[in-house]
Amino acid sequence: MDAMKDFDPTKNHPMVGVPLDKLKPKPVRKRLDLTLWEKVYVPEVLRGLGITTKHFASNMLGFIVPPKGKKRKVFTVYYPEEQVVLPAAYRGRPVLVMKPDGTEKCVACGLCEKICPANAISIVAAERGEAERYPESYILDMSRCVYCGYCEEVCPKEAIVMSSEYQGLAERERSQLLYSKERLLRSEESVRGRIEYIRRIYSKCNY
Amino acid sequence: MVADLIESLAKIIFIFTINLGFFAPVLGWVERKQSAVMQDRIGANRADIFGFTVIGLFHSLADAIKVLTKEDFIPAGANKFFHTIAPFISLVPAIAAFSVVPFGGKYTIFGHEVHLVIADLDVGILFVFALASLATFGVVLGGWASRSNWSLLGGLRASAQMLSYEVAMGLTIIGIVMVFGSLKLTEIGAMQENFFRWGIFLQPVGFILFLTCAIAENKRVPFDIPEAESELVAGYFTEYSGLKFVMFWMGEFLEIVTISAILTTLFFGAWHLPFVTDAMLLGFFQFAGPNGAAILAMLVNIVTFFGKVVFFIWLQMSIRWTLPRFRYDQIMRLCWKMILPLSLVNILVTGLVLLLWTR
Amino acid sequence: MPDTIERDLHTDYMVINMGPSHPVTHGTVKFLATLDGETIVDLKVEIGYLHRGFEKMCESGTWQQVIPYTDRLNYVSPLINNVGYALAAEKLLGIDVPERCKYIRVIACELSRIADHLTNVAAGGLELGAFTAFLYFVEARELVWDLIEMLCGARVTANYVRIGGLKNDLPDEFREKTLEVFKRCRSLWGDVDKLLTKNRIFIDRVRDVGALSPEEAIAYGFTGPCLRACGVPYDVRKSQPYLVYDRMDFEVPIGETGDNFDKYLVRMEEILQSMRIVEQALDQLPGGPINVDMPEVRWQSKEDIGNRIDSLIFHFKTVIEGIKPPPGEVYLAVEGGNGEVGFYLVSDGTGKPYKCRVRPPCFPLTAAMSRLMKGRLIADIVPTFDMINMIGGECDR
Repeated sequence: MDAMKDFDPTKNHPMVGVPLDKLKPKPVRKRLDLTLWEKVYVPEVLRGLGITTKHFASNMLGFIVPPKGKKRKVFTVYYPEEQVVLPAAYRGRPVLVMKPDGTEKCVACGLCEKICPANAISIVAAERGEAERYPESYILDMSRCVYCGYCEEVCPKEAIVMSSEYQGLAERERSQLLYSKERLLRSEESVRGRIEYIRRIYSKCNY
Repeated sequence: MVADLIESLAKIIFIFTINLGFFAPVLGWVERKQSAVMQDRIGANRADIFGFTVIGLFHSLADAIKVLTKEDFIPAGANKFFHTIAPFISLVPAIAAFSVVPFGGKYTIFGHEVHLVIADLDVGILFVFALASLATFGVVLGGWASRSNWSLLGGLRASAQMLSYEVAMGLTIIGIVMVFGSLKLTEIGAMQENFFRWGIFLQPVGFILFLTCAIAENKRVPFDIPEAESELVAGYFTEYSGLKFVMFWMGEFLEIVTISAILTTLFFGAWHLPFVTDAMLLGFFQFAGPNGAAILAMLVNIVTFFGKVVFFIWLQMSIRWTLPRFRYDQIMRLCWKMILPLSLVNILVTGLVLLLWTR
Repeated sequence: MPDTIERDLHTDYMVINMGPSHPVTHGTVKFLATLDGETIVDLKVEIGYLHRGFEKMCESGTWQQVIPYTDRLNYVSPLINNVGYALAAEKLLGIDVPERCKYIRVIACELSRIADHLTNVAAGGLELGAFTAFLYFVEARELVWDLIEMLCGARVTANYVRIGGLKNDLPDEFREKTLEVFKRCRSLWGDVDKLLTKNRIFIDRVRDVGALSPEEAIAYGFTGPCLRACGVPYDVRKSQPYLVYDRMDFEVPIGETGDNFDKYLVRMEEILQSMRIVEQALDQLPGGPINVDMPEVRWQSKEDIGNRIDSLIFHFKTVIEGIKPPPGEVYLAVEGGNGEVGFYLVSDGTGKPYKCRVRPPCFPLTAAMSRLMKGRLIADIVPTFDMINMIGGECDR
């Protein structure tokens, strides 16, 4: 910080000690009392009414004659008939990715369990055949998950990704919210877009 | 004799139907939809019958069903009699004030002269103010009988506000009464046949003052501290539910209609179209014969009158959604230190002008 | 005679409780107001209803696991908290992030600040009864949140900044989308300005209420828009520039008396200044990497983890045990939506923080409520408390 080099007490603001040409204070209050224009209530009320009437007229016109490409001018999305267009980065529910033969890609390394800030994941690992690990039980507690995306970020095998699902998450029983491995599995095609996205954002060119 | 009876009954039924059957439910819909369109959103339109959502009109029906089937309770220790009667006292004056409002002129149909007003009182406008004073009781009793601190605060504030603004409202009207020389609303309406004799050109300041006082009397934003201030939850009707609550609410909406009707009658030419006199209208419909012409002219005037009422309803709703609300002491200061002196000055100036004009 | 009257008409002060859940106190806080009619004689403020043990939770997780917790401190401007914590941890580690990362962090901070000020002014309008102004600014905030969602995947709980870099780079159409959103935001800003700023009804509610002299404000510990409204142009971005704020050209709005109207004007002006900063940053954005290439601090890329054994080992070590800053303590402050958000981190050499204390900017502001409200009407609590912008998550942590 070079504030000490060009320290000139006459040019600095007395209370803050920052040079005035860097500080650029801008007073926002033009005057302390009310002008005559403001004292008479009516002109400003009329101006406010003009603004809302303008919105009213343009939105009414937008309902009757919608602008091209959209169904109406107001930016309301009429859920559930219309759905919001989600960006590629959207972090929805975590899902486990399936290999082509139907088993999970996950090797039960336990990184996602360790990094999860809410301690939502519990893994019990087991071996299959020779030198192949798999999670015997993988429980993701959806009542604890905060959708932060850490599990997807640390997984070395791209085995857990944040899908773009956000519907159907409510249950009537708490036990139903403990998602087992079978409920979490999704095919690789269904999350292909997400896997490509995470390969792009976590690629070497960012380092 | 019988013809008079039939005529009166027809008018009463018409006004009742228009008020309770049309304006009350539709105003609820208008409030939702107008506010939605002003605020860049769609508004409530999900209530449907067999898949038909008539742009949300069924919500009023849903409201009615909900309100009729809700439990009606009185808080423990509250005064049962006053708690029950308060909504009635608040609702009835709003409807009854419509009985002196003329929604058309005089027509001769089948030899019988029809005046389109339920009660052509000599004191006209004073009757409306008398009823408005009665409405104050409903609010105060509602606040006091609920046995809750917050309701009491709301009722107190409401009583002071409504009393002060009645005084101011009465004074703002004197100007227009002086100009037209009569208290009878039918006469005032009839005298506004000429477009340039409309009240708003003769008394612009009076119009603005009266509009302000009327909105304050009705306890709508920006003057709605008795009821919807964020800190009082719902003010004097916190402890009401079901039918009683909707009576308060309907009383407020019907008073909007009444205020619009009075504004139209006094300031906006009552039932006249601009630049069209009664004789021109009757001459226009000559092809239907004298009775038919009278009936058609009557219909045109009724439609014009209610069209203007609808415009003022829209204006009041717009004001409600645009402005923030006042603080309690600012409302009092506005009334006693600004509106009252201004209305007195208005009377003075009107008197001077009248004196010099007729000289 | 007067004695008898006073004895019979015994008057007392009424104590009203505006409890933790109340339509107007946005944030869980309890006010015990002692009233004399409508005038407030005394106001006791009780906070702590949203205390979730942030500092204790930080001690049980690793340094990286703290970042989602910081999202939830000032939950209307989460990215600023993220950036503050990451900067403090980087200062502790003694590393510096690449240029592009600094610029993108500035963009993220300013977008969050815009959202914070929009929320605050909107809530102020709502509580004073101007519903339409509220909804216009909520529409603007939705658009800004859409931008943040495009950037990092979530609208509010962003979890975007990492120690040693960022989660991901800017998406492709970010610049065009931002300029489009800002056009709409500026038009809505103009609308709300015309609705509220010169409206006498609004001015009467907020003028001369909550005024404080600069010396008293500094004595209380005010920072941020509330202090700037009192006339002291203290902005952490100018006094102790961090990231690339010294290369940005923006002004610091200051008020005159410190009352609510000044706070409102300062916040409105800051929205425009923040938009200016974002546009400048987008113009000056350099290319290059966004993360430091240090495996012991920042998780490596997926290619490295998949192909190199040393990256994999570091990855496992940093995830399971956490990064290990050298033992020491650091305090670093950033300019949050409410003022100076300070992070005081103490490290003892292990992977978990020894202490992670947050200096909440709205804590001194809430403390001053009692002083500001003596002698005022009960209806004045509403705009004053709104403009102070006490965020429960930040004040109570």
